[in-house]
Amino acid sequence: MEIRKVAVIGAGVMGAGIAAHIANAGVPVVLLDIVPPAAENRNTLAEGAVQKLLKSDPAAFMHPRNARLVTTGNLEDDLALVADCDWIIEAIIERLDLKQDLYQRLDQVRRADAVVSSNTSTIPLQALVAGLPENFAKNFLITHFFNPPRYMRLLEITGGEKTRPEALEAVSRFCDHKLGKGVIHCKDTPAFIANRIGIFWMQVAVLEAMEMGLSVEAADAVMGKPVGVPKTGVFGLLDLVGIDLMPHLMKSMLDALPEGDAFRAKAGMPDLIATMIRDGYTGRKGKGGFYRLNRSHGQKLKESIDLASGEYHASVPANLASVKASARGGLGALIGHPDQGGQYAWRVLSQVLAYAAALVPQIADDITAVDKAMRLGFNWKFGPFELIDQIGAAHFAEKLATDNQPVPALLQQAAAAGGFYRVQDGQLEYLDTAGPYRTLERPEGVLLLEDIKRASQPLLKNASASLWDIGDGVVCLEFTSKMNALDPQILELAMQAIPLVKSRYKALVIYNEGSNFSVGANLGLLLFSANMASWQQIESMIEAGQNTYTALRYAPFPVVGAPSGMALGGGCEILLHCDAVQAHAETYMGLVEVGVGLIPGWGGCKEMLQRWVTNPKRPGGPMPPVIKCFETLSTATVAKSAQEARDYLFLRPQDSITMNRERLLADAKASALRLVEGYQPPEPVEISLPGPTALAAMTMAVHDFHTMGRATDHDVTVSLALAEVLSGGDTDMTETLDEQALLALEREQFMQLLHDNHTLARMEHMLETGKPLRN
Amino acid sequence: MKNVVIAGYVRTPFTMARKGALARVRPDDLAAAAVRGLLAKTGVDGTEIEDLVLGCAFPEGEQGFNMARLVVLMADLPIAVAGVTLNRFCGSSMQAIHQAAGAIQMNAGHAFICAGVESMSRVPMPGFNPSPNPVLYQERPEAYISMGITAENLAKKYSISRQEQEALAVVSHQKAAAAQAAGRFDDEIIAVGEVTQDGCIRPETTADTLAGLKLAFDEQGSVTAGTSSPLTDGAAAALVCSEEFAKANGLPVLARIKSVAVAGCAPEIMGIGPVNATLKALARAGLKAADLDLIELNEAFAAQAIPCVRDLGLDMARINLDGGAIALGHPLGATGARITGKVAALLKREGKQFGLATQCIGGGQGIATILEAV
Repeated sequence: MEIRKVAVIGAGVMGAGIAAHIANAGVPVVLLDIVPPAAENRNTLAEGAVQKLLKSDPAAFMHPRNARLVTTGNLEDDLALVADCDWIIEAIIERLDLKQDLYQRLDQVRRADAVVSSNTSTIPLQALVAGLPENFAKNFLITHFFNPPRYMRLLEITGGEKTRPEALEAVSRFCDHKLGKGVIHCKDTPAFIANRIGIFWMQVAVLEAMEMGLSVEAADAVMGKPVGVPKTGVFGLLDLVGIDLMPHLMKSMLDALPEGDAFRAKAGMPDLIATMIRDGYTGRKGKGGFYRLNRSHGQKLKESIDLASGEYHASVPANLASVKASARGGLGALIGHPDQGGQYAWRVLSQVLAYAAALVPQIADDITAVDKAMRLGFNWKFGPFELIDQIGAAHFAEKLATDNQPVPALLQQAAAAGGFYRVQDGQLEYLDTAGPYRTLERPEGVLLLEDIKRASQPLLKNASASLWDIGDGVVCLEFTSKMNALDPQILELAMQAIPLVKSRYKALVIYNEGSNFSVGANLGLLLFSANMASWQQIESMIEAGQNTYTALRYAPFPVVGAPSGMALGGGCEILLHCDAVQAHAETYMGLVEVGVGLIPGWGGCKEMLQRWVTNPKRPGGPMPPVIKCFETLSTATVAKSAQEARDYLFLRPQDSITMNRERLLADAKASALRLVEGYQPPEPVEISLPGPTALAAMTMAVHDFHTMGRATDHDVTVSLALAEVLSGGDTDMTETLDEQALLALEREQFMQLLHDNHTLARMEHMLETGKPLRN
Repeated sequence: MKNVVIAGYVRTPFTMARKGALARVRPDDLAAAAVRGLLAKTGVDGTEIEDLVLGCAFPEGEQGFNMARLVVLMADLPIAVAGVTLNRFCGSSMQAIHQAAGAIQMNAGHAFICAGVESMSRVPMPGFNPSPNPVLYQERPEAYISMGITAENLAKKYSISRQEQEALAVVSHQKAAAAQAAGRFDDEIIAVGEVTQDGCIRPETTADTLAGLKLAFDEQGSVTAGTSSPLTDGAAAALVCSEEFAKANGLPVLARIKSVAVAGCAPEIMGIGPVNATLKALARAGLKAADLDLIELNEAFAAQAIPCVRDLGLDMARINLDGGAIALGHPLGATGARITGKVAALLKREGKQFGLATQCIGGGQGIATILEAV
């Protein structure tokens, strides 16, 4: 069974977001909601939801065009629209009677084998299907998405006793391949996996901070980066999701949890939180939360609430020795530290990690499901069992015992065996609840560099990059520098890869498993060299980059780029030189050099010009390709998805998109292997450009923008340097320019800008603050 | 010399570029709709038409080829009718009328269709391939100056405050809204498909709403989108013929052309162009500004219209009776035919004797036409 059309019932935040993401997969989706009383437009809820989706930030749609795949309607007139849907997702309010009533109605119109799933997070599956026809129960499951559905990769799925295995399989497969979800099979237990542990974690972290008299800044400083949690920590996260959600979560947990569950003892709502909610301090959507931005004095002042008095005060960055110790000594050093931060970390983590250990196999078949659920559902860098291993399972169990806390059986087992995970013969194994270790199997079509690195040695390696044999004659070039910044060593290894692949392999894939493919060239190195006035050295680095990228382009084997996350500046330019790109759907490509007062110098200008000039769909005449490039590059435009990258020609028609992050490398490898047979390197491209005429046109535009106040003084300098390159320099429409001529223009203007102190100021500012300087 | 008359005037609705109801209509279709409307309204015999003179400021893309000849075919005019597309930027279709008048007086035909069109949605300013001469740009950058900056220059030179500009814009919208509400445009508008009404007029415009707008061209300046004519789609057409032809064929004569003129001025203050053009036309007509009963002065920008009024000593009460371009819109190539036809129609409607249509032109020019009642 294949899912070709989907319906979502309920156009609230979740339902609409799910519908948008299904449209992102290129699959048509019907979105229905009720007819509100006295509504003039009977489809107002669904239509309004799509309008809101189009304006949401971060965007729900990967391309505004995807909205056209969403058919809107209402439950009274349009229920027949679900008749040809393969999967119907219910995402209405959490009321059993309303859900069951809807199921009865859906059962009248749905195809007999159409799957129905609920996005419930609190109502047990057994209760949902009670009293419904047998065939309905056979096709019913729970699919629990996380908000926002496009960005949160976790999908918890569970069927009932009667659920057809094929129904579960079809939806799992669709969510994995088409929606890019990490599909976790869980049990039909309250709040499933991620929320069961995550909400407990948030609640315990709040209660312990209050009890210990910790400031919210200090609590978040501990419960953030040091434990591998996003820097919002807990209080920042609550501000983001809405503090008013907490009492609802607590109530539904209390209603559903078994007697004796450790959560029950923690479910009380502190007075401060009740007061905050009552007074409208519900977080970022309200008047403020645990933090707020006070704008009353003309500028934005970050303030924090005092957990004891409820008064706001100017936020003070926490200065904790335990946090500093954790930077070197890891989690063990953090929880073992005697200061308040160390004590807090221990008090929270001991309870949360022990709770997680006590819940397997009750909520999931194995620990890997729990770890993955917390990584994908709460953006934790490590799941609870991985965290315990960092502390040391035996040490953790001992410490619990010393504290007179119960030690869960699974933890005792791990303590005895030497941890929850181990590497055996290069294979990652996990502790099985039923006994010894089991090999962690990856689904077919999932290839992870992480696994390859565990099982093999690199073909070549230096401080900034490695080359790996990923099988079937394909080599992977991995960046390993800080933030995957491109530097001379990466270029050097890429150059070394060419003869190696040529002599012994078939193809090269450029890929890594960092959170960003690469945010560009190593700016610090560049700034350092500029401050030392090592112009010769800088110019040779620019040339090395151009030569390396050119060599990759004309290498006698296919080169496939496989980005995920940000691919900016030089990171974007290397992709522009690949034969094909296999991009993760969440890839953000852009040539953003102007932000640091520079222009693309590693063939980015050249590539974009060639792509626009030779694009058969572009408007006619010599100017449009130049203007398109100028608009995109002078504003440092970053495509907000791989789909959007096509609009800017960062991606071409022959480039492909992979929805599931874990399938990216396998897809890129397959794409490279498809190109191997009869591979011919591309022919060099020559183009004609208008030269001084184009420069005059762009100069006019730049000065107008400056007068309007939309371009700063240095924007003018940088834009004019860019215009010089994009115009083709001292050329004429009757002449042709080869790649070397364009690259020489890039180098010349790049070097000139680097001699400008305003550019250096921009670079310095970016390195210090991470934000562009508008000088 | 033969007398030349305007014997009919129509236009399509004027609607906002990109967002408006005509954004999806090709400019040649717009022009053809206006020409067909003119033929139907005047009942002129097509075989008597010498030439279709069509003004357009950016004659490329869908406005390219020789659009006038194509519009002859699209409007089902006889195959013998010729077509010429001409460009004097915003003065294009007023120039079409001047050209026809000159031809009639030298006996090169007795009836002409003088039309103008611009789809600023489909052929955006400044065209698809703006290719300035780099040497000229270096030596005389003002040759290519953006229109908004010329308005700012005049605002500075004549010390015209933002409030003064906004007051003019408010009045323009009020007059246009009143004219629309009273059906005073019904006689001139030719429907295009379902579109029957102007789309740029904002009756709700007040000094307060305008005061809230951002500066459009110069962060130190005073001109906003609210005190500039909007980017507009539309077409207009007028029947220009000898007075004897009109009488012989029983055509509804609106007004006689008394005199015409064009004049150059400094490009960086192109908005003052109407002043010298009008002075020349007045001298040729043997009239003074005070003799003008009715005036259509194109409001490219409030900051440009006000200095023209001041320098010419015009009476505000006689200008743009049914609103100006700030409210109605300014589809570049179509505006000249609109304001000339409008003055002719107003002379008849209001029973007045002398009227002036004048406008400024990018690059530094003005154009003027003086009409008199028949």
